[in-house]
Amino acid sequence: MISTILNQYRATASVVAVLAVIILLELLGFRSAIYPSLLPAFEWIKYSTPIGVIGTTYGSIYATVEALHLISMATIGGLVLATDLRLLNVVLRDTPSETIVEGTYKVFKVALVVAVLTGIFCAAGVADKVYYMPVFWIKMGVLAAGSVFMIFFKQPLLSGVPHSEISPWSIRLLAVTSILIWFTVAATGRWIGFS
Amino acid sequence: MSKLKNMGDKELAAVTAASVILFAVVSHWVLEAISTVELLELAYGSFKLFNNPLVF
Amino acid sequence: MINELLLQFGHWMEAQEYSQMLVSGYYSYNWVEAIHVLTLMVSIGSLFVIDFRMMGWLLPNVPATTIAHRLHKPMIIGFVIMFITGALLVYAKPVETIQSLWFRIKMVLLLLAFINAWIFNARLKAAEGTWDNDPVAPKNLRSGAIISIVLWCSVVTMGRYIPYDWVDCANTSNTTILWAAGCVDQLNAL
Repeated sequence: MISTILNQYRATASVVAVLAVIILLELLGFRSAIYPSLLPAFEWIKYSTPIGVIGTTYGSIYATVEALHLISMATIGGLVLATDLRLLNVVLRDTPSETIVEGTYKVFKVALVVAVLTGIFCAAGVADKVYYMPVFWIKMGVLAAGSVFMIFFKQPLLSGVPHSEISPWSIRLLAVTSILIWFTVAATGRWIGFS
Repeated sequence: MSKLKNMGDKELAAVTAASVILFAVVSHWVLEAISTVELLELAYGSFKLFNNPLVF
Repeated sequence: MINELLLQFGHWMEAQEYSQMLVSGYYSYNWVEAIHVLTLMVSIGSLFVIDFRMMGWLLPNVPATTIAHRLHKPMIIGFVIMFITGALLVYAKPVETIQSLWFRIKMVLLLLAFINAWIFNARLKAAEGTWDNDPVAPKNLRSGAIISIVLWCSVVTMGRYIPYDWVDCANTSNTTILWAAGCVDQLNAL
């Protein structure tokens, strides 16, 4: 009986399993145990790798890569707005939401890759500073969760199933969550710049 | 409960993941707002947005 | 002469009470700057979706004019917020910004971007109905889209350079840069 349910609801079971692992690791204090060992890695990235050395030596290159990071962020923002506001029935109402979701995904992936690569360069240049910033780790957490959510849950559902067969409240929940995820990533990113 | 029974696997998984993430993100912003208000009260005695040396 | 006038205007703004309040409050200046940067996602985000459609990079099966018309309003709202927050940022640090080479280049690029948008919109109207459902727009609209993308990426990059002091008035003795950035006092001292 249980095995049939698990078989039918494989994706949901995997979400629950991942959540259970995360809660278990939190209770075991995994985060605080692993945190000190990351400092040498961060210092190595800043002082010994090419991206760290270039980033700290040439301010103009660092600023240009930062600008590219902003441009990719703007692109992600525009795509998220177009897609999620369509899912919420606010913009582009005369176009089927399935078309919008499928037609924007490729550019979203490219923009996300550019944002992550430029972000790694920017973080490398200030690695020993961001290591100590809680807001940096929050951004990384939301970014990781948001990317996994987008790639493995939201997109497969919305491009695999006709939207008329999905509960409207589910669609609204997915859209609002997506908007909040990317807004939070951008806002915490800006906050890092202030610290 | 009947709504949950009608949901396919993909939809249920996405909704579960979205609910958890939404809760976490909203909690983050609520906590931020609370700590900002506390900071302003600490700096200026009461929660004031204008004529406050920290804000404007 | 223009540089002297601009510098005078900058000093006058600097002396205003609200300018000083805006720059000295810990939260106020940072909030205005944060809103300015985050609204990029709305203004330039919408603009890039429209331009990418013209290039055929996304939503190829949606009529291009539909996308352009539907995303026009969020784009304009975004640009209005950018303009207001941008003006407040100049108002908070007037002399620094007016004498920033990157800020001046940014303003020139902005003007070019708006001219390009004007031409683009006129061409879009003229071409309506002839190619809408094609995955890629005709050549003159594609060139307008590419120019738009390049100009706006340059605007963002120049904006990112403003806080850096590499070619500030006090840090350079190159007369061309000093003239272009309007460093009146340093030019007179040379």
